[in-house]
Order: sequence, then C-alpha cells, then structure tokens
Amino acid sequence: MIPRVLIAEPNDDVRALLELTVQRLGYEAVYPEERTGRDDVDAILLEPACAVGRSVLRRFGDNAPPVICLSIYPREEGFEPSASVAYLVKPASTAAIGDALRTVFGD
Amino acid sequence: MSFAHRRYFVASVAVAGIAATWGVMLAFSWSSKLGIVTFAPWVALLGFDLGVAGGIGGASLVMAVYLTATHYDSVKLDETQIAVRAGSLVVLAMGSALVGRRLKASEEAHRGVALLQSALIDATLDGICLTDAEGNILISNRPLRRLVGELGMPTHGTVPERLLALSGSITEPERYRARMLELAHEPGAASTDEFEIAGTGRVFRGYTAPVPEVPGGLRGRIWTLREVTADRELDRMRDAFVATVSHELRTPLTSISGFLEMMQDEEAGLGTSGRQYLEVIRRSTTRLHALVEDLLLMAQIEAKRIELTLAPVDVQAIAKRSIESARPAATEKGVTLELVTDHPPEVLADGTRIAQVIDNLVSNAVKFTNEGGRVTVSIEGDGDGLRLTVADTGIGIPRDEHGQIFSRFFRASTATRQAIPGTGLGLAISRALVEQHGGTITLTSREGEGTNVTVSLRATR
Repeated sequence: MIPRVLIAEPNDDVRALLELTVQRLGYEAVYPEERTGRDDVDAILLEPACAVGRSVLRRFGDNAPPVICLSIYPREEGFEPSASVAYLVKPASTAAIGDALRTVFGD
Repeated sequence: MSFAHRRYFVASVAVAGIAATWGVMLAFSWSSKLGIVTFAPWVALLGFDLGVAGGIGGASLVMAVYLTATHYDSVKLDETQIAVRAGSLVVLAMGSALVGRRLKASEEAHRGVALLQSALIDATLDGICLTDAEGNILISNRPLRRLVGELGMPTHGTVPERLLALSGSITEPERYRARMLELAHEPGAASTDEFEIAGTGRVFRGYTAPVPEVPGGLRGRIWTLREVTADRELDRMRDAFVATVSHELRTPLTSISGFLEMMQDEEAGLGTSGRQYLEVIRRSTTRLHALVEDLLLMAQIEAKRIELTLAPVDVQAIAKRSIESARPAATEKGVTLELVTDHPPEVLADGTRIAQVIDNLVSNAVKFTNEGGRVTVSIEGDGDGLRLTVADTGIGIPRDEHGQIFSRFFRASTATRQAIPGTGLGLAISRALVEQHGGTITLTSREGEGTNVTVSLRATR
C-alpha cells in the first residue's frame, strides 16, 4: 500500500511543491480538507506556525502519526509538536524533505 | 555780553574742553579705572542708582558753593580758575556717571549672557553637568536635577559615587557596576553607556568625557544623561518587523528554491539561454537566502537569543574550509587567497558560529579586493588564546568610518561608491558572535591600501 502523507501548508505554491516532492518519492499526498482520519494518514508534513497546521495537530491529538515540520520559524520558537520526528526550517531543500520522509517510512 | 553771561560762557567752554579730555581719557582702560575710583565711594555709600545721582548732585552743590563764594568775593579766584574748577567738578560727576552707566551696562550684559546660557542648558532634554576632576558637580542643568529625582539617585557625593549607588536598580547590576568602576579608573576616557532601570523599562544613555580646562584652571568632566526608552522601543519594533518580514520571506524562498531544484532535473532539455537564466535565478536565490538568514541572525543577536554550543574547536580547520569555499570567487576575480598558520591551540567555542565569522571575514576580503590583490588569513597562538587575522590589499575603509564599521547596516563609502553589493550586516554579526565568545575583534584599514580584521579568542585550557 502506498504511504499517505498529509500536507498542511498554508501557501499554495509551497503546497504544490510539497505535493510534487511527495509524489516523486512515490508516496500519496492528501490534504486536511479531505477529512482523513488516523488510519488514512501515515505521516504529516506541516507548517506548525499556522492555523491549518495547528488545526491538524488538534484533530489528531495524542494519536498523531509521525510529524515532519517545515517551518518559517526555527525550532527555538517553540512551535514543534510532541509527535515531531524531524524539524526543517524553510527554505529546506526538497532533498532534505525527501530524506526526512524516507526516514519515517524506513526507505 | 554781561559779566554773568561771560562767566557762564567761559565756564561752558571749559566744561566742554574738559569733557572732551575726559571723553578721550575714558576711552582707555586706565582712565576708566580712575572714574571707577572716583565713583566708587558714592556707589558704596548709596548704591548704584543713588550713587550716580549723588555724584552729580554733590558735584553740582560744590560748584554752586564755589560760584556763590566767588560772587561774594570771599574766595579770591579769577573767572578762569572758577570756570576750570567748576568744569572739573561737573566733568568729574559726568565721568562718574558715565563709568556708572558703563558698569551697569556691563553688569546687565553679564547677567544677560548668564541667563541665556542657563536657558540654553535648561532647555535641552538631556541632563547635563560639569564636574571637577574628582567628580564634584560644579554646575548642572534642570533636566539633570529632575532625572536625579526620578531615578532616586543620591543628591550628595561625586557623580561616580551617585552612579554606583544606582547599581541595585539596574537590570544588569554587575555589568553596570563593573563599567562604572572601570570608568572611575579611566579619567581620561570618553565613554557612552546605556542602562535600563529594572522593572520600569526605562533606558538611559550616559555620556562622559574629560574637559581639558574649566574656569579656574581645573581639569574637569562633562556628564550627560538622556532617556532613550522611546528609541529602544522603536528599535524593538523595527527588529520585530524585520524578523517578521524575514520569516515570511522564507515561504516564497521555499517555493523558488524548491522548484529550481526540480528544474535542475530538466536542465539538459533547456537551450543555452534557458540555462543561463536558470543560473541567474539560482544565484539570486542564494543571495536572497543569505540575506534573509543574516537578517534573522541579527534579530536573534539583538534579542540576545543566540545560544552557543561550546566545545574545543580547531580554528585552523575551520579557516581552511572557509578559504576553500571562498576560493572559486577569489580565482574568478584573480585574487590570491592563502592561509598562514603556526598550529595554534584549540579554543572553546561554537564551531558553527566561528565558521560564520571566518566565512564573513574571508568573503568580505575577497569581495573588496580587486584583481591582482591578495587575501591572507593568518592564525597564530597568542598567550592564552589565538589571534586570527584576515588581511587584504583591497579598497580599504576611510579613517573616519572605522568607528561605525561594526554597526549593523553600515557600509563603507568606498564600497558604496563602487556599487559593491552588501547589506552591512557581516561585520556587525561577526562582532556580536566574537564578543559572545568573550573574544575581541578589531579593524585597521587604510583607504586604497587594504584592511586587516583581527579576531582574538581564548584557548580551552
């Protein structure tokens, strides 16, 4: 089964970039508005310093899958959620994002 | 002409002649003193205005006695003698009156100047005082007296003593105390310091400098105190704005650099022009990214939010990496880049931050050195630490700009004249990072000849 990555990013262009990156790695990109539940998502790629990112984290609560943060703020700003397995600061390279996803899925 | 008329005519001529003589005499300082001496007893007895009137009245009375005495022939004087004596007395009185007027005018002029000076120093927003060499206040202005009251500063003692007494109210009392003690031991130094009053958010900037000579032949000191709370608040707002904008710039940078990476896979399919355009976009993106990172780092430094991860660091190895990363740019410009080292000791430092400092210095040196020039990075042991110097043979910095060169956003006129790109953040960031390590950074430069920047760091042992 193809791993599904929920993308929670407020900027359309960055979201398109992340979708392309996820798809190039062979994963499936899904979005918060698709009302996906825990069983439908294998990882989350999100901007923790935005409303959509916080909303997704609230929705999953303690049951969140591994979270990869891609933020405009450094880690010290305190936006990193407890389920975070990687924290990247924008503009992170697509290679770095790919590495983080592959680590989550053990590829 | 009757006898009486002739007498008054002669007397008038005599008065006019002697008055003219007195006028000439009064034009010289020694005759003024004579006038003062003549006038002084009257003024001493009757005060200034009455003294003048008394001088005139007394002289007139004496003249009347003389004239009356002559009329009754009780004093044997001829008309000329009477005229000369009467005239002398009148002129004496007039002279006294003139001297009195001159004294009064001089006194009023002095009082006017003193009032103007007082109005001038009282009208400024800054607290100002002049002290003797020991710090005893000789004169102070109204704003200073008001600030002393507001800050709860003691009203007695020397200025250094009063400033030290404030230590307990300052946000960083130890640093403040050390600075004040340092100041007390450097009587010849000028100094500008800022301090914040704990719990109030009020920030003050104090300035002091020696005054070579104050009236009385003393050596003294001027002290000024200015509240800069509003300035610091504006700084904070500006920093917050810059930080917000810089963070927001990271979002479009992510899509630009991300899609650039995607395009690299398809670069082979582009024509020559397309590949050139792509290279321009890549280069500009890299510069924009560096600018954003510098702005954010500066904001972090200003907010004192940089935390160092200290460990023994091999500065020589870091310098080698910096030189290698700057070599392509140096080679392209025809600038020789070399490292000279004598195996210095390791230092306790944050390797990433020290690398940032050296990268900044080396890239600056290459950027500001023209074709055929040389950039030398030398590292040597220095007592209990090491000294790293980046020396170039570049365009240099005018002498009068050395004091500002480590200020953020400041750019040397030699760089702006030649339209060499830059933000004016590199040296400001370097100084902040070096000082956070407890080290020092200094610069010497000569316009048209080159620049040396030296960083001193302490060793681990």
